[in-house]
Amino acid sequence: MYRWFLSLRYLRARKTNWIGAAGIFVAVAALILILSIMSGFLAESRGHLRGNLSDVLVTPRLDYPTPATGELPPRDPGPMMERIRELPQVESAGLELVWYGMLAQEGGGQRISNPLVGDLSLVQLVGVDVQDEYATTDLLESLEATARPHPLFGATPQVDDLQDPFRQPANYSPDGAPKESIVLGFQLCRALYLDKGDEVEIVTVSIDPDTGRIGEPSNRTFVVAGSFRSGEMEMDVERIYMERSVLADFLGREADWSQVLVKLHDYERDKAQVVAALREELFEAGYLHTLDPTHRTFGREVQTWEDFKGSLLGAIENEKALMGVMLSLVMIVAGFTVFALLSMMVSEKRRDIGIITALGATPRGVLMLFLLIGCWQALLGATLGTLAGIWAAVRIDPIERWLSDVFGVQIFNRKVYIFDHIPSEIQPYGVAGIVLGAVLCTLLFASFPAWRAARLNPVDALRYE
Amino acid sequence: MTQQQEPPPTSSADAARAASSPGAQPAGAAHPGRDSDGGASDSGDTVLACRGIRRSFQVGDRRIGVLHGIDLDLARGERLSLMGASGAGKTTLLNILGLLDRPDEGEVRIEGSPAWTLSTPERARVRNRSIGFVFQFYHLLPELNALENTLLPAMIADSPRAFRARRSGLQERAREMLARFGLSDRLRHRPGQLSGGEQQRVAITRALILDPPILIADEPTGNLDRATGERMLDLLFEEQERTGTALLLVTHDERVAQRCQRIVYMEDGQVQADSSTPMPQ
Repeated sequence: MYRWFLSLRYLRARKTNWIGAAGIFVAVAALILILSIMSGFLAESRGHLRGNLSDVLVTPRLDYPTPATGELPPRDPGPMMERIRELPQVESAGLELVWYGMLAQEGGGQRISNPLVGDLSLVQLVGVDVQDEYATTDLLESLEATARPHPLFGATPQVDDLQDPFRQPANYSPDGAPKESIVLGFQLCRALYLDKGDEVEIVTVSIDPDTGRIGEPSNRTFVVAGSFRSGEMEMDVERIYMERSVLADFLGREADWSQVLVKLHDYERDKAQVVAALREELFEAGYLHTLDPTHRTFGREVQTWEDFKGSLLGAIENEKALMGVMLSLVMIVAGFTVFALLSMMVSEKRRDIGIITALGATPRGVLMLFLLIGCWQALLGATLGTLAGIWAAVRIDPIERWLSDVFGVQIFNRKVYIFDHIPSEIQPYGVAGIVLGAVLCTLLFASFPAWRAARLNPVDALRYE
Repeated sequence: MTQQQEPPPTSSADAARAASSPGAQPAGAAHPGRDSDGGASDSGDTVLACRGIRRSFQVGDRRIGVLHGIDLDLARGERLSLMGASGAGKTTLLNILGLLDRPDEGEVRIEGSPAWTLSTPERARVRNRSIGFVFQFYHLLPELNALENTLLPAMIADSPRAFRARRSGLQERAREMLARFGLSDRLRHRPGQLSGGEQQRVAITRALILDPPILIADEPTGNLDRATGERMLDLLFEEQERTGTALLLVTHDERVAQRCQRIVYMEDGQVQADSSTPMPQ
């Protein structure tokens, strides 16, 4: 009983104990706030980085013979699509044809660029089957997104018909034969001041995968049917969608697909399993290659969207881990404060330790008494720190604005991150880990003074005046 | 422990002799538990016994002997005064008998059971249940009020659940004891708000709250003025007689010693005179 009673009484009576609790409070609150913001950044960035990518991408190298057959992969995607759709984890699959080109002024020859945002002439041409694309990616949502003005960049042109995005825009009056339609990323549209009904010329050079020959440069004029906003900067700056058959015709290629988009019923649960299954299945079917045939080491012909964006996601994850490690140092400083305060207390309370030992306390009891004092400090600091950290994470935007107003400095530049708010995501397990870490760290630092108190000779302690 | 001005040893020895004279010694109070072979007694009347206690301390390169084979018995309800000059070894003996300091040699028995062979927690339990301490400097915990200081041994004895179960009874008993000691209006006062005499009275109630069979008092009046000390002793002896606790009292004051049934005089780490035995001429 005395351990609980005395530890609480000492905590209440000695104001210096509050310093230890305050240190833990600051450390826990800062850790929760920073890790919530970093988690928010990561979550937001994952959404932005993904853009219109499907769960899994299959991109066979069509110009190399496969080890399974010794021949080039089949041009007919039918058997491959059948195998993919047969997998129970797969919800849908679709074909895409991806190539590159340059935007040119009408008449050809001269590249278009905007000196304010740099050279934008290189574009990614993506040929899609609209309904398959809708079924496997977020293209429809990104087309719908243009209906809402962007908080930083304002309104951008939306297609006339979401179910048929390549329908020629109503305001388009062709000069001669009507041109085929394209849908551009909103950043590209905005940077080049393009609007619905405008005509742009695209120049490209194709390599025939069958022959490996570089073809003659070709150019074609298209009409802008609208824009999309995927949230992924790179995609919104350089991607141009058009019908897959139109792109194949433009490229003059026999092979009218270059990759397969796969959507899963439960991506998080099934991604690894599906990637492994697809590699095996499609290797056997002669579509895929191996880096090392003996050990079946596969390259990046089958990958998840996270593998595709691995380096960027990894960088943010690393930043989050680094911030966690750096802020843990604050926790260690708080632990040292508890250590110093308890050591001082043990020195000051030598006589009290002698008294309670004379009255029947065991060394273990004395140890527990001082550990409990540390424990109360940890629990008090961690509880208040958790509440403050969660409150700050939830209210980070108004707090940032208030701080910016008070100090006259913009703390978070929203344009730098293309976010209209500071992202913050509270992770319950992360918070629990921080609280547990704070309590364990404090107990660790409290254990030495507590052990010293337990080892005090009561005769010496009672003699101490 | 801070030593006070010591009375001349001869007079203390004389006091021990005087106390041994017929009539001064109550029947049955003299070493009732000592057996013939000199081993610590198991007699039911002896609550505290020690045999052949030796203790020395290392000071630099030298080993200084402080106790050289002390034998002592304390009977149930007996009031024994331990006297001796500074450095005679009284406090060291008290610490050993109070199970705070381990002897180099010898045996201590509390209510018939050897105490220094027990494990540390068992010894702490014996100290809690069987021995009450009263110190010269009161040694109350400054963060606790008078009532809480009194209840501290009970808090140490009990788990939180057990203490909660008997808290009201214990509090009632502590209030009664403090009231008997004239502190009924000082229950919520902290040591810093109490006089020296009041603090010592709180210390005595703390020592007696669990009804220990042994009370060890180390110069309980040493820090009080004479009148306060006298009143304090009256209360202490009255309570000791009422509860039947054996009292081992270290004092330098002959008047205090004379109020005890038995006086043991120590010199150079040995019992030089014991009023319960015929003194060497």
